[in-house]
Amino acid sequence: MTRLRLALLSLSILPSFHLSAQTVDPLAVRFASMTAVTGLEQAMTDTLLTLVPGSTRDRTGNVTVSFGTGAPKRLVACALDEVGYVVGNITADGYLTLRRVGAPPQPLFDQQLEGQRVTVFGARGAVPGVGAVRSTHLTRGRIGSGTPDPIFTVDNAYVDVGAASAAEARALAIDMLAPVSLAKRPHLYGDRLLAAPAAGRRATCAALAAALQAKPTVRGSVVAAFTVRSLYTTTGLQAVQRLQGPFDQALVIGGGRGARGGAAADTLVLATRYTDTAVETVSLKDAEALAKRLVAWMEAR
Amino acid sequence: MRALGLGALGTLLLWASLCGQDGPRVAEAQTVLSTLVEAYGVSGAEGPVRDAVKRLLPAWAQTETDTAGNLWVRVGRGDPLVVFVAHLDEIGFTVTNIRDDGSLELQTRGGFFGSLFEAQPALVHTDKGDVPGVFMPRDSGATRHTPPPLRVDLGTTSRATTLARGVSPGTTVTMPKQFMRLAGTRATGRSFDDRVGCTAQLLALRHLDRAALKHQVVFVFSTREEIGLEGAQGAAAALGTAPRRVHAIDTFVSADSPLELPNFAVAPIGQGAVARALDNSSITPPAYVDSLVQVARARGVKLQIGTTNGGNDGSVFTPYGVVDVAMGWPLRYSHSPAEVVDLRDVVSLADMIQAVAETW
Repeated sequence: MTRLRLALLSLSILPSFHLSAQTVDPLAVRFASMTAVTGLEQAMTDTLLTLVPGSTRDRTGNVTVSFGTGAPKRLVACALDEVGYVVGNITADGYLTLRRVGAPPQPLFDQQLEGQRVTVFGARGAVPGVGAVRSTHLTRGRIGSGTPDPIFTVDNAYVDVGAASAAEARALAIDMLAPVSLAKRPHLYGDRLLAAPAAGRRATCAALAAALQAKPTVRGSVVAAFTVRSLYTTTGLQAVQRLQGPFDQALVIGGGRGARGGAAADTLVLATRYTDTAVETVSLKDAEALAKRLVAWMEAR
Repeated sequence: MRALGLGALGTLLLWASLCGQDGPRVAEAQTVLSTLVEAYGVSGAEGPVRDAVKRLLPAWAQTETDTAGNLWVRVGRGDPLVVFVAHLDEIGFTVTNIRDDGSLELQTRGGFFGSLFEAQPALVHTDKGDVPGVFMPRDSGATRHTPPPLRVDLGTTSRATTLARGVSPGTTVTMPKQFMRLAGTRATGRSFDDRVGCTAQLLALRHLDRAALKHQVVFVFSTREEIGLEGAQGAAAALGTAPRRVHAIDTFVSADSPLELPNFAVAPIGQGAVARALDNSSITPPAYVDSLVQVARARGVKLQIGTTNGGNDGSVFTPYGVVDVAMGWPLRYSHSPAEVVDLRDVVSLADMIQAVAETW
């Protein structure tokens, strides 16, 4: 299959169908407020099952929905996962230490935890916390001008949820392997710009969800998939292809640093700015245009 | 089975204590503190915080605002005059230039790690209202913790568009903030330094037995502390040698964190207010520390004694012969977006202020 990258500028000239800013923008903001640490995406897929009528979750965790019948049989997929963290240990004085899940997409990725709000997803729900940071006042006079200035890594990370002991932390239903991410507070600025961690991926999946909600009249049959575990390998997508394929055509959409579909898929990328930071920025105009393009693709126009 | 059952019960009780209802004092402290924390006031632009303090004062309180922007509340009559001072301002930035591409160049106001604002949401506080943007991540030099000077992107593409949004050199910039409860009686937010001090003064004023006062007490809510104690200098000059004592009510930066060295500043959060006996700007005479301890014991208020870093507003009164007896509360992660306090310490500090005003 050929690798296809479409300039998003060209998407805005497509017809509007039922889609509008009122459809795509709230979905993108809602998705950007969610957390789906790679391999631990269930909370987000639970939400998708309620948002996309007729969708089901396969045994890998992907959420898929099928439209139409017969040939050609086509697949459109977006990856919903993100690099994140899990609780690796709980110290005697109640701090959580972390293990990253997924490779850091940029050198300063872990540093974004330092001194910022985080969310720990315990067994009874979300628990707010913060990433510990040295106090400005207590470093004064202790660091000379020629002192090394190493970046912060996950090995320096201590999450403070307000617990004073390991027992207090566990009483909040926090234990090993609980997912941890930066607190998700999507931030709108400029002319329909959305800033959030993994905003590109979330806006891409929002565009797909919006396209599905527009109920396109598909040609042949289409499987739409919100896939998991793209950041360890392309496991989720591969599972869809093997469980529901073969497909005559596959289109993988993505944001940020791109979409990974393997050799057997076309890719379509939503452009981002400040990629892989806490303010990864995507244009909601572009997301709306993408949703319209997806409807057209499903209808094979 | 019995051991398992008791263990489960213990966990349940612990969970209930971590999530249980607050007592009325903690609830009141949270109401006041959350209001002040969610107001913005970079040094020199404290108006919104000053207005919030006015709204939270007891109805009987008469206020004055001096030319430095300090807010004064006077209570009682007679000598010796005693002053309490907590600062209104917070760290942040001012705009120094608008580039042709519409982005903002910034100057810091106060001391903090630039990395804590890099690649975070931004708010530009204009006369027309807050304009959202983002602190731009660096585009090179990712091997260093410290970023180059930060800029803000408002999503505009020209200087003219940025100017049209009401932004101009001198406009202040911060990041969005929100008060958030953590487990138990702990909470996080930004600018607890020194909104906790303002909160403690407000709570003390609300509960003060004015009839018990033996002398005049002045509560000052000061400006521009973070850029050199400037507001307090104006208040100190205005009062001259009249005060006997000044009590700076400000953060006790605590080493109660796994990232800090425990060789000083050891005052655990949740263990009460702190007599800030020695910092980088002042030393409290030991006899006065002893007096504070006696006041605390007499009222049953939890008080720790410690030494930390940083300066305090009371230090600028000392050239006039005024004794600085600073008090604070233990704070984790100072000058970060994730400062952490224990609300019980805020109540202890308010009780200490009230006790000192009424009995010393």
